[in-house]
Amino acid sequence: MILSEASVSKIKEKAARYPRKKSAILPALTVAYRQLGYVDEEVYRAISQVIGVPYVEIAEAATFYTMFPKKPRGRYLIQVCHNISCALLGADSLIGYLEEKLGIQKGETTEDDLFTLISVECLGSCSTAPMMQVNDDFYENLTREKVDGILQELKGKA
Amino acid sequence: MAKATKNADKPAAVQTVSLTIDGRSVTVPRGSTVLEAARRFGIDIPTFCWHPKLKPVGACRMCYVEVEKMPKLQVSCALEAMDGMVVHTDSDLVKRGRKAIIEFILANHPLDCPTCDKGGECDLQNLTFAHGVDDSRFDFTKYRFVDEGMTTTFDDKRIGPEIVLNRNRCILCYKCVRANKEAFGEYDLGVYERGNIAQIDAAPGEQVDNPFSGNLVEICPVGALTNSDWRYKIRVWLTRTAPSVCNFSSAGTNTLIFGDNHKNHLYRVTSRMNDEIDDGWLADVTRYGYQVVNSPDRLKTPLIKKGGKQVEATWDEALEVIRKRFGEIKDKFGGVCVGAMVAPNLDNASLYGASKLMRTVFKSNNIDYRGYYRMLPGDPESPYMILQSQPFRIADIDDCDLVIAFGSDLVREHHNQYLRLRKAYNFAGTRIFSINPYRVKSADISELELVYGPGTEEAVINGLCLAAAEEGLADKSLANELLSRIEPKTLREAARFCGVPEDKLRVVARSLSEASKVTFFAGEIVARSRERDLIAGALLNLNRLMGITGRGQMAALVRHANSKGAEKLGLLPQPRAGLVDELGMIWGAYPDCAANSTDAMMALIKKEEIKGFLVIGANPMMLYPDQQFVREGLERLDFLVACDLFETATTELADVVLPLASWAEYRGQYVNLEGDVQTASEAMAPLPTAKPGFEITNLIAGVLGTPLYGDRSELDGEIERLLELDSVIPCPDRFMEVKPVSEPKSDGYNVALYIMDDSHHYVHLTEKAPSLANFVSEPYIELSPDLAAHYKIQDGDSIRVESEVAKVILPVRISDHIDNEVVLVPRNFTSKPVTSLLMRKRRIDRVKISKVDE
Amino acid sequence: MTFYSPVITNAADAAKDDRLHLFKYVEDPDQYKIATYEAHGGYKAWKKVMGGMTPQQVTDEVKKSGLRGRGGAGFPTGMKWGFVPKDSPKPRYLCCNADESEPGTCKDRVLMERDPHGVIEGMAIASYAIGCHLMFIYIRGEFGHCIERMEQAMDEAYAKGHLGKNIYGSGYDLEMIVHTGGGAYICGEETALLNSVEGERGMSRIRPPFPAVEGLYACPTIVNNVESLASVPHIINHGGDWYASLGTEKSKGTKIFSLSGHVRKPGNYEVEMGFNLKKMIYDPAYGNGILGDKKLKGVIPGGASTPFLTPDQIDVGLDYESLQTIGSMLGSGAIIVFHEDTCIVWTILKLIHFFRHESCGKCTPCREGTGWLEQIIKRIEEGGGQPGDVEKIDDICGNILGRTICPLGDAAVMPIQSAIKHWREEWQYHIEHKECLVKTKFEFK
Ligand SMILES: Cc1cc2nc3c(=O)[nH]c(=O)nc-3n(C[C@H](O)[C@H](O)[C@H](O)COP(=O)(O)O)c2cc1C
Ligand code: SF4
Ligand code: FES
Repeated sequence: MILSEASVSKIKEKAARYPRKKSAILPALTVAYRQLGYVDEEVYRAISQVIGVPYVEIAEAATFYTMFPKKPRGRYLIQVCHNISCALLGADSLIGYLEEKLGIQKGETTEDDLFTLISVECLGSCSTAPMMQVNDDFYENLTREKVDGILQELKGKA
Repeated sequence: MAKATKNADKPAAVQTVSLTIDGRSVTVPRGSTVLEAARRFGIDIPTFCWHPKLKPVGACRMCYVEVEKMPKLQVSCALEAMDGMVVHTDSDLVKRGRKAIIEFILANHPLDCPTCDKGGECDLQNLTFAHGVDDSRFDFTKYRFVDEGMTTTFDDKRIGPEIVLNRNRCILCYKCVRANKEAFGEYDLGVYERGNIAQIDAAPGEQVDNPFSGNLVEICPVGALTNSDWRYKIRVWLTRTAPSVCNFSSAGTNTLIFGDNHKNHLYRVTSRMNDEIDDGWLADVTRYGYQVVNSPDRLKTPLIKKGGKQVEATWDEALEVIRKRFGEIKDKFGGVCVGAMVAPNLDNASLYGASKLMRTVFKSNNIDYRGYYRMLPGDPESPYMILQSQPFRIADIDDCDLVIAFGSDLVREHHNQYLRLRKAYNFAGTRIFSINPYRVKSADISELELVYGPGTEEAVINGLCLAAAEEGLADKSLANELLSRIEPKTLREAARFCGVPEDKLRVVARSLSEASKVTFFAGEIVARSRERDLIAGALLNLNRLMGITGRGQMAALVRHANSKGAEKLGLLPQPRAGLVDELGMIWGAYPDCAANSTDAMMALIKKEEIKGFLVIGANPMMLYPDQQFVREGLERLDFLVACDLFETATTELADVVLPLASWAEYRGQYVNLEGDVQTASEAMAPLPTAKPGFEITNLIAGVLGTPLYGDRSELDGEIERLLELDSVIPCPDRFMEVKPVSEPKSDGYNVALYIMDDSHHYVHLTEKAPSLANFVSEPYIELSPDLAAHYKIQDGDSIRVESEVAKVILPVRISDHIDNEVVLVPRNFTSKPVTSLLMRKRRIDRVKISKVDE
Repeated sequence: MTFYSPVITNAADAAKDDRLHLFKYVEDPDQYKIATYEAHGGYKAWKKVMGGMTPQQVTDEVKKSGLRGRGGAGFPTGMKWGFVPKDSPKPRYLCCNADESEPGTCKDRVLMERDPHGVIEGMAIASYAIGCHLMFIYIRGEFGHCIERMEQAMDEAYAKGHLGKNIYGSGYDLEMIVHTGGGAYICGEETALLNSVEGERGMSRIRPPFPAVEGLYACPTIVNNVESLASVPHIINHGGDWYASLGTEKSKGTKIFSLSGHVRKPGNYEVEMGFNLKKMIYDPAYGNGILGDKKLKGVIPGGASTPFLTPDQIDVGLDYESLQTIGSMLGSGAIIVFHEDTCIVWTILKLIHFFRHESCGKCTPCREGTGWLEQIIKRIEEGGGQPGDVEKIDDICGNILGRTICPLGDAAVMPIQSAIKHWREEWQYHIEHKECLVKTKFEFK
């Protein structure tokens, strides 16, 4: 089973609170995503077993939502908001800057599997634009200087 | 509680509303949609995503109407008709709305109509013609789904044994996915991604291979889903259709057969929606089973055994042999030394002809249509026969508040009823309980699934009676009377005997007593049991105690296309008295001699007391539960005549083999399980040498000296007289004695074996339908994940299945619903004689299984 | 990494001004803790309700307050609660809509991160009013910290007996589930949200039946925005009349506006309804004027799905009616400001890309229409525009507007139509000259 014991028990615990078992699909996907950083067919299969919902329904729901990468990605998933409020404050140039710094194109992962860079829709940080999300953390009011510091810090932690 | 309000609602349900549609005032039942209201009055509103048997989703937006006082266009498929509404279905605004929808849909829809199999019957093509624009303003390259490794230019992707998907043609009406889940309870097809790249596909890594999958192709409004059956074979406008009924189920699903006169070839079967029976859904076996008619393996000429080998012969030669050999037996030993067995999916005329041949020419009562059941009852009014004769209507399931399916693996044996249960569950909130020796595939709609120990049916039912008595749900004196007739005497003991928890039995009893309308039926697991009469007795007791037939229906369901016809026409050794009298009147005499059922005949054959035998359409060698026994008998016969579409294990032993015409080749009538007579019309001319059963029996009678009829209408008239007789046997007004019998297990044989039809097949007939063989073409053994784990076996492994009398090696299929120690094996394939595992006198067959090491 | 979003608020004003209740304590770093929340008078309203108000009284108080939904549609909250059938034997549910994904909107996140108990208390009161015993908060999945905060706050509330069985000995039980999304704007639409909670794909449902009658698990369900619910405890504490005394004639109370784009001081500001938009943009206490002292080009007043306003239209009250009168909408209260260097085609391309990406794909006009629109707008932006493209866009918009299952279709086309109305020459220029009239190039610092 690709899901860890901790994930399985967390999923079961969450599932038990809902009136119907199908409701546990999103919570289960979320738990799996937090464990693995992505979800795929193997994960759907495992979730289906844990919560007792047909496999296809997990796949259908999972592919509807764009937050869960569908294949393994770098250790840090950098998601830059390219929507309007951020774009007005230079989101496109921020993406360009990151591409340059990381030496990859949007959608790619660095060779050392550390960073994956993608652009996404509005993340609800419009008043603190431009911004990016790295895994679960929001980095807002970004400047070149801040970006340099953040990348440095993340590399340091790795 | 719910039932009280439901009843109170009843009168409200017939309330009506009146509205105006396109200037006409119309009145419809409250709760109808505007679309339904319009259709009812012949006003056509175009649709894509609407389906009469599914809940509306309002997705395609094609069914726009304008409603006065509502600012926006409304989708009529989801708009409830209200009193006083003024609706326009053809205003300028509506027309513009529709045009826009067509334009949107066509934007990314390939215009490959010339190579699309839906051409000529495509909703998009037709509605574009009727409502669309003649030019598209979309001037971009159309979006095209491409799969890795896709090589054809047609963007086709096989997603199941029969189904090919072209996602570019898909207009996302979601009908297939909705029907699959909602109506069929199947989870092998889904929608993935979202927005304009949303797409239909099989469950990742899986196949769309459920027993109803063909419907998905039929309801697809465009050519996104097609099946190999029909693809690239013929254009629809070059075909001719004939109304028919399914020959593989007792419901008598209504169908249309598409044929081509020039080639005398059949091309496909689609539904001919009959709300009373099928709601327009066909099981795959119904849809693809027709292919056997086209099979190159059909018997082309009669065969005669010469020097131990069967050789081709003419009809005249064959009939001459029959005249001689049957004549000799008749003269030397008497006609009573001849017996016959007929298939219960033959039409009325063929069945009746066989009976008339036996009883008027041979003057023998050795005839039976029940070739698949062991230890048959002789008494025409036995409890099982009573239960089987009870009235039953499929459509009555729709508004029941409780349905109990007992001893029935529905998906395998009664497709239509299974879908009805789903419908009732979806639309009427019906509670469904299933009671079986293993978990069956209706779990997602079953509120309660009781699993009893194999072979303890009567204890379960006694348990329900006892629960009712203990809970005070039944009349005290009735309950006391019952108590003196049954064993055990307490719920606790009954529960222990059958392995179903006491509290569950109480829940069922309570629900049964509370429900205002109930359907309760027993299926093949009861029918095939050696103790069917005991079980039926218990069920009749339950009925008497709780009054089920008084507020709904309770019956044992028949299994075959014309089982009911066979009953009504007297194809039993000992028909009911009324029938015998009538037959005597029609024929002038009715034979007064011993009457033997299938297994009794087999025994007599073995004792060489029956010497001549006629088999029409049946295949006891493959299907009777004890092949050894049948073989020993049939081999000893002086003379065996077998008629079939194909060479079978039974025809192999015959002295004369006659090619039988299929149901699609002549007009025939069939009585479905509800007792309705339905007609299958001639969809093609019979193969040059094949003949319908009634012609064959008439020819045999003729060569023996007395043809059965001069003119076909004579025969039909006689049949009509018989069909008019009431065949319902009243339920007895006393309790039956029911003491559960337990069967000791033999050492080491621990696993209960159930042999039945695969859900894509019907007895020995359908393995020659290529489409059905694409689903399953080999027997397998289905078992629970736990059992698999116990024997360390995986899906696809081979295992040895051993009974006390035989062993076979079968590939494993791990079930996603079975969870106890039983195994299921399909009986539909000639490659492995699985019925050899069974013993004629056993109640439950037990086997041991072991992994075959490579 | 700061736990709080670094968003600027006008909490300092709120601390002094009793009318500004939502932001009163949002800058207090401990407000998220239950002790601090309680010290600031938290759960008083809930106790008051549990102490003897009937559900009807609660609903009446909210009706009296004139509170209207802050999620976008502005439907009167008390009236919505009143739609829950009184005699239905089914369970009822409350779903707090915290999917906050409308571009420009970032207000609910601040409330949840900084004052989560305020949201829980509001949810509890609303639940009681409609007879619900299991309430959900649907938080967009990307808000990792919000989710953590909310779960922590929920655990605290349980521990202190504000939630759970037999609350304050009243015999009333209330459970709460934090349900998180998976990245789909459409799940903010109430029926899609319900599907998402049920484990279905987050696609919208046709109405009727309305959720209040047949919502989650086909049971009566009320969906309310975070801000709407966070306002409820204050209404209970101070009375509906007090709340109704704030704001304008028809738009009562206060509202948080998320200000973003080309302003010097973007942030979330709680103001009374009817507050002047111009003041919001230019006043030093709020937006403090346009970045780089550029000229204002246009404003989106209520989130990415509301029509644009031109500079001559901004002297207007931020309330439902005033904005409607001039052809736009209050929406979720997300004000996006554009200065003169912004190309309108570029802007619209960003927006339509978003709506195309977020369309659930269920209904034809939205699914096919947004894709088609994006393709045309993209080619214009990239210099491939064809004569007639603008008219075509306008016509396609017309074929979507009012024809879809849910308002996402409308949301996608309303800004486009207004952008064509206001800046048609710029579109034409773009097509004819194959380039922007205004050279847009926004660098980040
Ligand atoms: C596409 C779409 C997205 C929406 N997103 C949100 C959202 O993120 N948060 C929200 O509260 N309401 C959102 N809404 C509005 C909700 O459908 C609903 O009207 C609202 O949650 C009701 O709460 P209220 O009455 O308190 O405003 C959205 C509506 C649409 C059509
Ligand atoms: S308008 Fe768009 S988002 Fe709403 S139902 Fe239709 S396709 Fe889905
Ligand atoms: S038929 Fe009504 S929306 Fe599709």
